[in-house]
Amino acid sequence: MKIRRELWFGFSLMALILLTIVIFMPWSNMSSGHLGLLMLALIVVGIMLGFPTAFTLMGMGVFFAWLAYRSVNPDLAMRQVLDLFVQRSYGVMSNDVLIAVPLFVFMGYLVERAALIDKLFRALHLATARVPGSLAVATIVTCAIFATATGIVGAVVTLMGLLAFPAMLKAGYNVKVSAGAVTAGGCLGILIPPSVLLIVYGATAGVSVVQLYAGAFFPGIMLAGLYLAYVIVLAKWRPELMPPLPEEQRHVPLPAVAQRLSQRGKHALAGLFSAVRSSPPDVSKRTVLGQLFVSLTPLFAVVALLGMMWHLATVPVIEVNTAGLGLTTGSSADTKDEASTGLEAPPAESGGLSEPPAESTATPSSGVAEPPKEEAKPEAAAPPVTSTPAGSKATAGAPVAESKAPDATVAAVAPARLPTPDWLWITLCISVVVLGIVYFLWTWERLEVFKMLLTSFFPLALLILAVLGSIVFGLATPTEAAAVGAFGGFLLAIAYRFIEHWRSVPKGKPKSAAIGSSIKELGSILKDSSFLTAKTSAMVCWLFIGSAIFSAAFALLGGQELVEKWVLSLDMTPIQFMILAQFIIFILGWPLEWTEIIVIFMPIFIPLLPHFNIDPLFFGLLVALNLQTAFLSPPVAMAAFYLKGVAPPHVTLNQIFAGMMPFMAIQVIALVLLYVFPGIGLWLPHTLYK
Amino acid sequence: MQKLLLTIDKISTFIGHTFSWFIVALTLLISWEVFSRYALDNPHAWAFDVMIMFYGTLFMMAGAYTLSVNGHVRGDVLYGFFRPRTQAILDLTLYILFFIPGVVALVWAGYYYAADSWRINEHSNITAEGPPIYPFKTIIPMAGGILLIQGIVEIIRCIICIKEGEWPSRTADVQEVDVDKLKEMVHVKDEDIQQLDKFVIQQEHGK
Repeated sequence: MKIRRELWFGFSLMALILLTIVIFMPWSNMSSGHLGLLMLALIVVGIMLGFPTAFTLMGMGVFFAWLAYRSVNPDLAMRQVLDLFVQRSYGVMSNDVLIAVPLFVFMGYLVERAALIDKLFRALHLATARVPGSLAVATIVTCAIFATATGIVGAVVTLMGLLAFPAMLKAGYNVKVSAGAVTAGGCLGILIPPSVLLIVYGATAGVSVVQLYAGAFFPGIMLAGLYLAYVIVLAKWRPELMPPLPEEQRHVPLPAVAQRLSQRGKHALAGLFSAVRSSPPDVSKRTVLGQLFVSLTPLFAVVALLGMMWHLATVPVIEVNTAGLGLTTGSSADTKDEASTGLEAPPAESGGLSEPPAESTATPSSGVAEPPKEEAKPEAAAPPVTSTPAGSKATAGAPVAESKAPDATVAAVAPARLPTPDWLWITLCISVVVLGIVYFLWTWERLEVFKMLLTSFFPLALLILAVLGSIVFGLATPTEAAAVGAFGGFLLAIAYRFIEHWRSVPKGKPKSAAIGSSIKELGSILKDSSFLTAKTSAMVCWLFIGSAIFSAAFALLGGQELVEKWVLSLDMTPIQFMILAQFIIFILGWPLEWTEIIVIFMPIFIPLLPHFNIDPLFFGLLVALNLQTAFLSPPVAMAAFYLKGVAPPHVTLNQIFAGMMPFMAIQVIALVLLYVFPGIGLWLPHTLYK
Repeated sequence: MQKLLLTIDKISTFIGHTFSWFIVALTLLISWEVFSRYALDNPHAWAFDVMIMFYGTLFMMAGAYTLSVNGHVRGDVLYGFFRPRTQAILDLTLYILFFIPGVVALVWAGYYYAADSWRINEHSNITAEGPPIYPFKTIIPMAGGILLIQGIVEIIRCIICIKEGEWPSRTADVQEVDVDKLKEMVHVKDEDIQQLDKFVIQQEHGK
């Protein structure tokens, strides 16, 4: 009988584990702790046999828990096991951390089915056309944004394999590099919050999900940045792997109006202003004003942001103590940090922004950039009030402050706003310079690209930032943010599906047909998403039920103590322990999936951390980064198989694996970087919560 | 026989589908609660309990459904490479060894747990006037029972597979990664992918 190579690998691994048990178990004097270790080894073998993990854990947990109780009191054993099991299960059912899992999963499916990824990729492709390796860069950025919003690795890799992979092959990109970019990019979603992985870790390790989200944000960005840097450097260094795009692929088609107006000059802003004064006969004033408004949205956004920051930074002290905590601590740090603390303000304001897409559906008028435009309006209206200098400010501030602080003495002090801090002026200067450069380069082509980004990139980015911002800044619990995010995702789906149906109605037919067909499609989107959510959450949460009884049995048998004693007897330094732990997780990532690794093995590692003075939060960030490799490491590299499923037949699995290797190396580098500079992950949670 | 199996599949799926609408309810409930708290300044004390109950009911009742569509995560190192008959033998052994004792224990324990809760008319103690919690605890034996029935169906499937050498069919259900649907979504056709092959071949020859 011919046995496949993969089978050999699996069988030899299994044999190795069993052999280790047989050799190292002190068979003559087994303590119950040894039974615990035996159980642990058996579970690895059991999982590898391919039976649904949740039930393997359940069966083994029940059996070994019974063994543990029996050694104490055989009469009561059965009863005790049953009580323990049902209480543990009920604990999972009423877990207030895991409740966020189905909600985030639901949000992901809804966003995925809003079908905006092709728009997103096209817009980013044009936006990055001049960067070396532009298609790979666009792929990674698209993946990072889309995967973050959806968190579904399989769907993202498949979609990018259908969209970006062909585009890259057509442009003459190397097969391996293209495959690597798609697969590595698609996996970013499980690291960059809001991700389900971090919730599962938080629930297992008892670490605050809020802090995990705050902590994983920068490492996630860093990993994406490293991917991008690698791709760009590679494209510069060996252009034959990623040839620059031909002119026709970089070309941005201009609409008629823009073509007409661009005859007057290349600069869009100047052209629009002159057109407002004297529009050409065949161009309506309304279109020109619309275009002008779109062009000015960055300005409005910046003004709104600065106004918001100014408001937060200068509200009277009573307010600052409660609401603006992050900002006041920021003002004592050095200027660079201050600028960035300030820049994190947007989420606070974008908390309300998940709502506006609703407006766009309520008033579905013609424009391409309609939804974001509506968004900008309420904000743009707000800042002039807050940022009008001196006189009006004092009067406007007074009633607010008084109503909030009825106490007479405080009210006397309150109306006076704090002096504007220096960092705000610096931010203002920087934004003015940046806006200046942006508007200097504002050609017609760029206006078109910006419009495309406005309809694809920004709504998604806003949704993510709103969800993340409201969690990190403590405006909402992860559960609430997830629910509102799911709601926002649904609104996003409504908006995109409706616009598409509206446009696809042939000319001359009544537009009302679009409403019926989009409601029908939305119904099926909602149905599919709910069913898939039910399946995914059942999968994750039943795994938790299994592991609840399993880890209880492990603790009852005293396996934990034995492991602890053994690890302490090795007399390792914290660094050695950390490297060992990460190495074990890395190795486990080859045969197992991330859910199993976290749910089964984290309960063993976590109790060891205090002995080495390691922050479980920091450990979690390292684990999350480390588990990225689990997706890319053969033989269970899910990402590779999803890509293979939609790749042209001559692309082999080996090519895909080879393409993933450099990205896996980057993941390891990122892991080392995070370990050497823990500040990358810990700075934000420490600034915000300590 | 096959008909009976598919019928039970359908029942599990129907229950799963019905309860999966809880996610929509949960989303709306929490969104409303957030709105009500921040905008209307009117938080509800029962909201937290109800959220937890929705979530718990959702995933517990979807357990059998997930099993019926083979959706529980498996360690797929070796399993995928086995022939169907080997898969079935392994599954059958492990269903009897792990699944049946585990789930029977859950149903058994859950029954007494829920019965106790009914007897003392238990109410949630998270807030002062908490809602009754016994219906929620009843979910445990119910979900376990359906799961057990579905498990027996899976065992029969294994036996059929051992006899016939291939897996009996299942009813189709929504897939997480439904390649055809995704292709349609981004307007890619199979021919397009076929045509791409020439670029790959070209590259191979170029080297």
